[in-house]
Amino acid sequence: MRFFKTPHLDFMKYKFVALAFSGVVILAGILNMTFGRGLKLGVDFQGGTLLRVKFAQTTSIGDIRQALKGFGLGASSIQAIKDFANPNVKNEFQIRTQLPAAEGTADTELEAHEVMATRVIAGLHSEENKLDAQRGLKDLNAIDQKTLAFLLEPAAPEDAPALAARIVEFRKDNGLIENFGQVEALGVKAEAVAKLKEKTYVGSLAVLSRETVGPQVGADLRRKATLATIWALIGMLVYIALRFKIAYGVSAILTLTHDVLFTLAIFSFTSREMNLTVVAAILTIVGFSINDTIVIFDRVRDNLKIMRRSPFEEILNASINQTLSRSIITSGTVLLTVLALFLFGGEVINDFAFVMLIGVIEGSYSTIYLSCPVVLFWQKIFKTQKTPGKK
Amino acid sequence: MKKGLRWKVILTAAVIVLAVFISLPLGEKIHLGLDLKGGIHLVMQVVTDDAVNIETSQEILRLQELMKKKDLASTSIINPKIDQILIQGINPDQEGKVKDLLDESFKNWDYITGSDRVTLTLKADVARYLRDQAVNQAKETINNRVDQFGVAEPMIQRQGNGERIFVELPGVDDPDRVKNLIKTTALLEWSMVIAGPAVDEATLLQASGGQVPEDARVLKGDPKRRAEGFYLVKKVSTVTGKDLRVVRRSVDEWNNPAVAFSLNPDGADRFEKATGENVGKMMAIILDNKVQSHPVINQRIQGDGIIQGQFTLEEAEDLVVVLKSGALPASIKYLEERSIGPSLGADSIRAGLLASMVALSLVVIFMIFFYRLAGLNAIAALILNTVLIIACLAYFKANLTLPGIAGIILTIGMAVDANVLIFERIKEELAVGKSIPSAITNGFKRAFSAIFDSNLTTIISAVFLFQFGTGPIKGYAVTLTVGLVANMFTAVFVSHLIFDLTVSSRARKLSI
Repeated sequence: MRFFKTPHLDFMKYKFVALAFSGVVILAGILNMTFGRGLKLGVDFQGGTLLRVKFAQTTSIGDIRQALKGFGLGASSIQAIKDFANPNVKNEFQIRTQLPAAEGTADTELEAHEVMATRVIAGLHSEENKLDAQRGLKDLNAIDQKTLAFLLEPAAPEDAPALAARIVEFRKDNGLIENFGQVEALGVKAEAVAKLKEKTYVGSLAVLSRETVGPQVGADLRRKATLATIWALIGMLVYIALRFKIAYGVSAILTLTHDVLFTLAIFSFTSREMNLTVVAAILTIVGFSINDTIVIFDRVRDNLKIMRRSPFEEILNASINQTLSRSIITSGTVLLTVLALFLFGGEVINDFAFVMLIGVIEGSYSTIYLSCPVVLFWQKIFKTQKTPGKK
Repeated sequence: MKKGLRWKVILTAAVIVLAVFISLPLGEKIHLGLDLKGGIHLVMQVVTDDAVNIETSQEILRLQELMKKKDLASTSIINPKIDQILIQGINPDQEGKVKDLLDESFKNWDYITGSDRVTLTLKADVARYLRDQAVNQAKETINNRVDQFGVAEPMIQRQGNGERIFVELPGVDDPDRVKNLIKTTALLEWSMVIAGPAVDEATLLQASGGQVPEDARVLKGDPKRRAEGFYLVKKVSTVTGKDLRVVRRSVDEWNNPAVAFSLNPDGADRFEKATGENVGKMMAIILDNKVQSHPVINQRIQGDGIIQGQFTLEEAEDLVVVLKSGALPASIKYLEERSIGPSLGADSIRAGLLASMVALSLVVIFMIFFYRLAGLNAIAALILNTVLIIACLAYFKANLTLPGIAGIILTIGMAVDANVLIFERIKEELAVGKSIPSAITNGFKRAFSAIFDSNLTTIISAVFLFQFGTGPIKGYAVTLTVGLVANMFTAVFVSHLIFDLTVSSRARKLSI
């Protein structure tokens, strides 16, 4: 059975509306990127340190900012991480530290960022933790398994390695150890726990990840990402120009450029940061959007032979209509998968999923409302093509 | 069963069996990337200027010696640039002899003569070779250190012919310790103390009249070892790290962590002689130009001893590792560091699996809703597609990263596109009154060009991503590309086969 009877919608009627709409969005985006708050670059491209920490106690962004103020880092960007699909994710924050203006020159060495990050981590710990650390105790939330086994050995000579493994495994599953009670609950004997208490303390936070990119690598990655995007676009242009006529190639490339700019425009209005995965998403959108375009152009190619007497605009319309059910179903399945990724894929991949989400919707729109009109305009302007209908 | 069909069934079955065989057991065959397993990713630059610098200083020493031997006078020999030596104040009568000496013994250097001076410049290809060697040696040394530290499956790579080295250490979660371990130059020396420790340089040099004697140098103590202050030590060290035969972690008489060492016969001789002649004096143990400790020599010592210095257990262990693996030929600068804790990686795996499952279920429901039995056909193709991606990852030992999982999820969405294109074409063929078998054949035939074009363009962008991307992004490009290539097989070949097998040539109705 067919869910979509081949419709007869006049898509081409809206071409100017669509052009105006895209123009406004892209213009707003460009204005925002150049004069407004701009595209926020992540550590990948700008350099700096990105910390992801988990606190044992409920903590607020304000608390963290207060602690950072002590280092002149009150302006750092701090985000609470929420993940409704994973109850384990709580009291987690992402902190992007920027070196204070005085220290943060363009060629600041990575070490400066590193030292700063280490100081920040130390500063976020509770006062008792700081005292314990000064006394030379080790943080149970940062200690490595080997050292832990070594510390446990006097109290539990036989099963120290096994116990250490169990404690580290628990820390991995739970994100961090909150108190010595949890260690005892893992089957560590009371005397071993007592021994641990002598040598270690339970840190009030755990560092889940820590990424520092030096300015040199940042500039490098920026260059690479730009190159990758440009080369991918050129690759598409060449391919389409070979497979189809030049008009289609030009139209495809304009559509793709639109896709990139449109996505960047929307992105620039969010609080998200540009990083490598976002670029990957944009390139994927480029690939995805061109799929749609090709399917329609492929149909136009067929229809040019079949509908010899119809005007070109009608052929375009018919082609869009005939492939509409496919476009909706394909975009639908991709949208569903991207939605699954957006909702359940976790925070780390969330920016990627978000860009894909915009892109899938925008890509379907641009194919229908932009790539076809562009071919039409080209034909009208150059009239070189023998549009079959006008013979 | 038709003959052609039989072959297709055998081929498909063979592919499935092979794919499953390659990828089982999953846990062993699929290598997880750092972002899923946890670990450290480091990018560092070897400061190859150091290597050139060292060469130049050594050459200056050699030049001085040779000139002395041949009674050639000069007022000074300095290095104005790292790859230049300037000899000043040459006696005009001896200029010819100096030239002879340079021609004969300094073939790696170009030189130009001025009025009373000669400027030597290290030849470009020699400098290049030195730099290249420095990077290779550094990589080798880092390799040794990581090996000794005990990391499973480390990856240490040089970036082409460049000065950068990439290090990936899965499962390591103490970035600071590893970074220090790699970065330490590990130049260990034992040298006689002439004066010190003193609070500042002036006090230190009082005895020698405010001047640093020709055969001595001033060093600082390492505050971490509580050897604070300034020391005046002999320029030429008694023994160095190169003379070590065995090093191992040990304890001192108070049971504190320490490092025990034995010297090779040659080093042991020198050590014995020096200690014998200097009983009652101090000998400094110097690591990377910082005094670690300065024990008083109580008696003549043969080739064994221990290094003490208020070490923690880890520090003692790490010192053993760096001493065993030798000194770095040049210093190292970190450019990028990413460390992902194991718990975040585990979270990412969970989230990735959940998202994949949800995505797959949604697509299954969607496809069966729209295409009924033919939807099942598409899903069979889809599942096979996923199996093939996993088999490819296993076969090529590619790392599965979180973006890689995203690539698989996206492939789930995009792969059904081929089936959708085919099914829509079949429907159209049926709508114009074609018989079911010919509608199926035509549907596949006519949809093929669009499938091919669209998959290829996505692959084009993935290839550029792979070219320019870093680790996790590469993983994404790989899964996406492999998924789309496999898609050509599963959606076109296998799907067609399923139709051929399930729809009889006399069928009246097609569930699509």
